[in-house]
Amino acid sequence: PVTAGSIVVPLGHVIGNEKWRGSELAQRLQGKVRLIFEDGLGLVDFHLPNRTCILLISEADLVAGDEFKRRLVKFRNASSLRGIVIVEKTPISDQYYPGVQKLVVLELGMVLLPVANQGEASQLIIQLVREQSRDRGSNPFVGRQRGRPAEPAVLQALQRIPGVGRTKALLLLQRFGSIHRLCNADTQELEQAVGQTVAQQIYTF
Amino acid sequence: VPSEHSPSPAGISRHSASLCILADTREICSGPEVLSCLRAGHGLRVQVCSLGSSDYIVSNRLAVDRVLQSELQSPGNRNKLSQRLQRLQGIFERICVILETDRVRPGETSRCFQRTQHYDGVLSALVQAGIRILFSSCQEETAALLKELALLEHRKDAAIQVPTEPEGHGRDVLNFYLSIPNLSYGAALNLCHSFGSITAVANSSVPALAAGARLSRPQAEELHRFLRHDFDPQLLPQPLPAKGK
Repeated sequence: PVTAGSIVVPLGHVIGNEKWRGSELAQRLQGKVRLIFEDGLGLVDFHLPNRTCILLISEADLVAGDEFKRRLVKFRNASSLRGIVIVEKTPISDQYYPGVQKLVVLELGMVLLPVANQGEASQLIIQLVREQSRDRGSNPFVGRQRGRPAEPAVLQALQRIPGVGRTKALLLLQRFGSIHRLCNADTQELEQAVGQTVAQQIYTF
Repeated sequence: VPSEHSPSPAGISRHSASLCILADTREICSGPEVLSCLRAGHGLRVQVCSLGSSDYIVSNRLAVDRVLQSELQSPGNRNKLSQRLQRLQGIFERICVILETDRVRPGETSRCFQRTQHYDGVLSALVQAGIRILFSSCQEETAALLKELALLEHRKDAAIQVPTEPEGHGRDVLNFYLSIPNLSYGAALNLCHSFGSITAVANSSVPALAAGARLSRPQAEELHRFLRHDFDPQLLPQPLPAKGK
């Protein structure tokens, strides 16, 4: 049912299902992205770059019943491509939204994005294509690994031990080096670094 | 250990009564109805604590942030949101954003939601970053979604199942764990529960830490490295020159 699965869509291109030719959505996409129509895409409405597919669910689909659910489940079972479901959420179809969201996001693990009409859908698809053409490093939500020195954090952790402030924490670290070695120090070693009372406190902690 | 019994309306299975969600203290002000719906409506155990990182922690690996739709409308908020979510990605395996429709204040005619290009751009970036997005029309619905997420994580055996309120000495030990960078509140609770002492944690192997704190392998490695990190005073940031106080 999902064909074009092996299609590699070039960046900035969208491959659209023949049935969308001439639609408002297609007209708005043209000029903004390179839109190519193909026959026999099966369940999928649009193929985007990076192995992503778009499945559109119209207001009419939602109101008509469960047919669209079978389509989504079929897609999920048949394809290893990433599926983004765009659904027309209007005052009429609003009531069905929570149920659809539960199915698509929580049960099928796909992405679901609501739009109000085909115009909004086209804007959203344009942004999705742009985002995918972009370098992953420019995505503001992708966590970057920062090689921050652990020193300030180690120092702060030690200050959570009752009786230990910044000065004593520094003394302890200069003597023992790591939390691991500090934990395995005996009372006598601790006493050499800090006073007897605090040494006992640290030991029992 | 039998979990504390919260009064739950009839029809709610014991299953959901034992479900636990951690909520940040900020949510008392910004999402009071979410909290009360979770407790009264769904019968969940909600522990309010100072999470700092996210609004909710739903399982050992999933953090949820509640974001208002208006926050995504203008570019002004993007930096704050992206910093917050980037930080979360260092701490949690999975992140979910619940995008909630702004409340219409009494006397205000319902504002028309203007969908901006910026809004679509942020959504696309979130999708691309692998952050799960749920849409909610109000606080009640947000609570229902949080419960669904907690149930789902419970089925996948990732639910928070340790006591969430250590006392006395346990409180101090928890605070110690909480100061470890990139360690979630849930992982810190698991450490308190699974290990007898900090020394036991410090002497544990990476697999033992992963199992005891319910962490992923890379996260357990990071924790292991931190505990054995050799302190070099040279690397401490130099105190900033005192500005006129």
